[in-house]
Amino acid sequence: MDSLRTLHRQIRIYIFFSILLISTLVLAAGWLLLNYTSLSPGISLAILGSFSIVLAILFALRITAYVSQPFNDVRQAIAHVSPGAGLAPAPNFDRIHLGHELVTNLCRQIYELASLSGVNTKKTTTDDSLAASAAIALPIPLLVIDKDQIIRFANEACLQYLQKPAQDVLEKNMYPLLDLSFQTEDTLDSWLEICQASKATDTSSWDRVRLKLTDNDASRQFDMAATYSKGSSSGAETVITFFDHTAKYAQDDQGLGFVALAVHELRTPLTLLRGYIEVFEDEFAGKLDPELTGFMSKMSASAQSLAGFVNNILNVMRVEENQLTLNLTEESWAELVQGAGDDMRLRAQVHGKTIEYELSPDLPTVGVDRVSIYEVLYNLLDNAIKYSGDSQKIIIRSTVNSSGQVETSVQDFGVGIPTSILPNLFDKFYRNHRSRAQIGGTGLGLYLSKAIISAHDGHIWVQSKEGEGSTFSFSLLPYAQLAAELKTNGNTAIVRGAQGWIKNHSMYRR
Amino acid sequence: MIDDTATANPTPKRVLCIEDEHFIGELYARALTKAGYKVTVELDGQKGLQAAQTNQFDIILLDIMVPTMTGIEVLRHLRDPSETPELAAKVIITTNLDEDKETRASIEAQADGYIIKAEITPKELVSILQKL
Repeated sequence: MDSLRTLHRQIRIYIFFSILLISTLVLAAGWLLLNYTSLSPGISLAILGSFSIVLAILFALRITAYVSQPFNDVRQAIAHVSPGAGLAPAPNFDRIHLGHELVTNLCRQIYELASLSGVNTKKTTTDDSLAASAAIALPIPLLVIDKDQIIRFANEACLQYLQKPAQDVLEKNMYPLLDLSFQTEDTLDSWLEICQASKATDTSSWDRVRLKLTDNDASRQFDMAATYSKGSSSGAETVITFFDHTAKYAQDDQGLGFVALAVHELRTPLTLLRGYIEVFEDEFAGKLDPELTGFMSKMSASAQSLAGFVNNILNVMRVEENQLTLNLTEESWAELVQGAGDDMRLRAQVHGKTIEYELSPDLPTVGVDRVSIYEVLYNLLDNAIKYSGDSQKIIIRSTVNSSGQVETSVQDFGVGIPTSILPNLFDKFYRNHRSRAQIGGTGLGLYLSKAIISAHDGHIWVQSKEGEGSTFSFSLLPYAQLAAELKTNGNTAIVRGAQGWIKNHSMYRR
Repeated sequence: MIDDTATANPTPKRVLCIEDEHFIGELYARALTKAGYKVTVELDGQKGLQAAQTNQFDIILLDIMVPTMTGIEVLRHLRDPSETPELAAKVIITTNLDEDKETRASIEAQADGYIIKAEITPKELVSILQKL
């Protein structure tokens, strides 16, 4: 009954402060009337009396509304589960401030009692057996889970869909069975957590959810809808339905084959362009006037940049389709960083920039996928060059942070990024309107970099101030930590996937 | 091993370039010849394989997408001891195809190098070959 005591305390505090406020206001008004008006004491007293009465009425109304709110919420919950209540809304648990715990507990009891007595908020038929046979015969996979995510019911279509017999599904925890991946952070699990914390009933739907079937390599892709009703002791807390679109989404996946082909076709002329530009640069060096030599450097840098962009397109497709795998090997970080910086030097020079290094001398070796991590450095440096504005300097720093991770940053002193758009910066295709208008590109680089760094168990972040420049930083594990992992699992190589998909995280809730 | 070849063979290193894109073959031949290599370009897989099997080359640059026989098939024939006993040449795959990691790893396991052509210039190719 602690929750009841809490309610008492809240009401006492509220009333105490209200009385304190009224008294202060009356005293202040009295003092003002006596000192700053020339009214006779009789009239002053009459005014003060009337003022006190009005104030008392207003506060009484406010206190009544406040104190009776919990009763109103409970009444609303009862109305919600009452038969024939029509569209009576469920109480909004987010808005309850007074006696939150007591009210939510009482409402939960009401919903449980309602489900025990067979009264259902969503009931459309009075014949339970008819409802059950309809659910069993429904050609769409349907699954019912309880509050502990134990599967309480799965119809025939669902068992077929999961390729499992009923005894392997029913009364089992859903997480080992349903390896779901979502396109955004809005997963089934994040929704369930919100529902369990603050909702009586709710519905939600998700597009393009991916399910990996446990016994083989096949996967399904579907749209999913779920309905939640709190506290049903019969177990039917959440009903989930799958709308299979595996074939349709697989067609989209074939896009990868197309992109790979397009990339091949783009690269051939690019190889030639780079080759012939190099011939010109070599053989006409000294014969061309400086302006033409400058043009030649710009052509060369642009061709190199195009080669990098072509790689980005393909890799973003791979991240999207979960086909970008990383092989982590031991690499000298200082060497890799300097190699990437040196490769970008020409491009930097063409834009009038210089790349400076501030590499701590004690950098350990790191466990990275050489090709992918090079792309991260390439993209961050490319951004720094693009967004440097009139400033010339770009600094690459790398140090070991307090938790032993290797932290690397690329700093420019250019246009900077408005605070309002910082949170979206690592989204796919995200570019703010100003940079879109001023600078070419597609906004793939940061999205790809984040996917690659995450797959390395690292983090990537940005600090920026408009007009002063930006610093993009990322952290990587030293190889020693990965070597420990290798030793434990007895593997000879570490292979990771870079994912554009978000796992239904709560495997740990099993 | 590399030093042995260099001392045993003071004549210019011979490169076979199996490349169907005529201009790329021309660019590579030009840069390599300038760097002192002796270069032969073959435009299709079958002719390339025949040339390679004469065992007159130190380095073979092998494109994957070539007519009559793919580079992968050429590589398989070159790695089959019954067909190509004791191939002396180092085989470098030069392609613009972006294979998935598994395929690429299986090709790399049989070759001595794997280069995406669009990512290097002819001069960079020369410096890679010089380090072999």
